[in-house]
Amino acid sequence: MPEKVYGKNYKINRYMDYKAISALLEKYWEGETSLAEEAELKAFFSEPPADLPEDLVEAAPLFQYIAAEAQFPAEPEWDMSFLQETPPQQAPARVVHMQPFRNWMKYAAIVLMLAGIGYAFRQHRETKLIAARQEAEERRAYMEAKKALALLSRNFNKGTDKMQQLSYFNTAVEKLQGSN
Amino acid sequence: MSLELFLSQVVPVRTKLFRFAYRLLGDEEDAKDITQDALMKVWAMQGKMMELQNLEAWCMRITRNLALDKIKSRKYRIADTLDKASELPALHQRNPHAATERNEVMNKVHAAINGLPEKYRNIMQLRDMDGLSYQEIAEALDIDVNEVKVNLHRARKSVREKLQNQQVYGL
Repeated sequence: MPEKVYGKNYKINRYMDYKAISALLEKYWEGETSLAEEAELKAFFSEPPADLPEDLVEAAPLFQYIAAEAQFPAEPEWDMSFLQETPPQQAPARVVHMQPFRNWMKYAAIVLMLAGIGYAFRQHRETKLIAARQEAEERRAYMEAKKALALLSRNFNKGTDKMQQLSYFNTAVEKLQGSN
Repeated sequence: MSLELFLSQVVPVRTKLFRFAYRLLGDEEDAKDITQDALMKVWAMQGKMMELQNLEAWCMRITRNLALDKIKSRKYRIADTLDKASELPALHQRNPHAATERNEVMNKVHAAINGLPEKYRNIMQLRDMDGLSYQEIAEALDIDVNEVKVNLHRARKSVREKLQNQQVYGL
């Protein structure tokens, strides 16, 4: 980490720097830092200033250890002769297994739906037939009633004629009695 | 087809596999043997190799299983002796006394990390030393990403407490 050039506000700037690192460090202990933030901490502790506050001093040995441990041994020579010993395989032809009953639930759902539609259609037709039958019955009953009422009316009219004749007769009688 | 796939997707990750094996076994020679075995095993399972989407994760799993077998069969343990830590490069050596003190501090950190349960230690090493993402660690160790996060938090917390208890401060 390059040495920072601080101005006359040296102490304040430095304090603010430490504050930011302390906040990052707290996140680190909580296991909430990103890889970039962890890289920042590693960079800071790779060349830490001498006057670190206590919470940063506490973490310094760990980061020093991490830096040292991150150095791996040199990569060894690999023996890749096994590639020649076993010939490469071609990708096997992809066999598609036909499984007609694999989606049985789909078929069952379709059958159920068709049965439902059929049943509903049949119910609807039956209801319509019953309604038509009922209507015919009602019409017949109406016609019967109409016929009966017409008969009644005709007979009633006959009675009225007779009564009218009687009324004329009565009027004539009353007139004759009055003149006498 | 399979050779192309092997050369383009497996060979580039062999360094990563070697480092992973080294983290699990803590020994360079054993890590080399295990990685070599893992590469051969991957090649022997060419048929499966061609079907997989994430070859790197599969290679990591094979390496991990071989390393765990080795640990089990030989009752392998990373030596708790602090030889390793004493081999660490002494930084900013000003005088022999300071160097000795620094090694002592490093030994304590080494002991704190090595004293962690295996799964905590592996996760902390893969994250802090190798810089793997949570997803990569989860795939390598065949565990859930949330488990990685929880265990990493516990591992760091435990190391912090140990260092505080031993009053390991400064450099």
